[in-house]
Amino acid sequence: MTGSRVPVEVGSAAPVLHRRIELVDMVAYAGATWDWHRMHYDPGFAAEKRLPAPVVDGQVFGALLVEQLQDWLGPGASVRALSFRFKSLVFAGDTVRCESEVVAVDDDEVSLSCRVVAVGQDGSERVAVAPASATVQWRR
Amino acid sequence: MTLLTDDIRALVGREVTYTAPEELGRAAIRYFATAVGDDNPLYTDAAYARRHGYDDVVAPPTLICETNQYAAVARDDEGYAGHSWHLELPNTRQVRGGNSYEFHQPVRPTDVITATWRISDVTERTTGSGADMLIVTSAASYLNQHGELLATNEETIIFVAIGETP
Repeated sequence: MTGSRVPVEVGSAAPVLHRRIELVDMVAYAGATWDWHRMHYDPGFAAEKRLPAPVVDGQVFGALLVEQLQDWLGPGASVRALSFRFKSLVFAGDTVRCESEVVAVDDDEVSLSCRVVAVGQDGSERVAVAPASATVQWRR
Repeated sequence: MTLLTDDIRALVGREVTYTAPEELGRAAIRYFATAVGDDNPLYTDAAYARRHGYDDVVAPPTLICETNQYAAVARDDEGYAGHSWHLELPNTRQVRGGNSYEFHQPVRPTDVITATWRISDVTERTTGSGADMLIVTSAASYLNQHGELLATNEETIIFVAIGETP
């Protein structure tokens, strides 16, 4: 009923998720989450704070890590825990890359180590989220 | 000078509760998935979700943290209208540390969510470059109208001292 398990072992890597985050995506996310802080969509406000562009809401990376893991492991799996630390800000127009690797497997759970890398419009890279970890449970 | 004053220590245990005025709803779930760019049919296709053992569409897990439980919160000067402790520490810069979520059961469109936030710890540390910093840890629990625990979220906010204090 819940489908078969995707075979994974320690060291298996989830397909990398790439996502370019445009200002309009940030406006949509702000609306969807009842969070209208100007920092997330107002270039004038960002400039006042001496930032190059509006800052992507950090919770977006949690949502993207869930998307990556759920797409990989399928509807027979569900994310049970997720934790992350913010390392650097991500700005409108940046592309993020979610990377996750299996670190432990047991009967009904898979543990993963994750990170999110931001790639600026000039191609420069910086770690946006690390360390991060997730636990995914196989549903019965 | 210490950032960890008696006033700050007294924050531990402070608690605030926010209850949504109505069910989460399918549209809110679809809107969030669309905004993120997540096209998983578990969030939008009830027949697909049922084929995979759910009784209806479910919400993407992290959505529960930022939904209509905050509908009654007024916007602040910067446009923010979610949970905040409104902590103002002079001569500090506020930075988000991170989050740690546990998802206990899938969130359904018919759930009416109550979020309870509590300050669980305040700790003082020194940054790598020698600046004082104060770490405020808060824990949130999210329950539905049946009293079932849906998720928890632990969040850290860091106040870093700016420059020298006289």
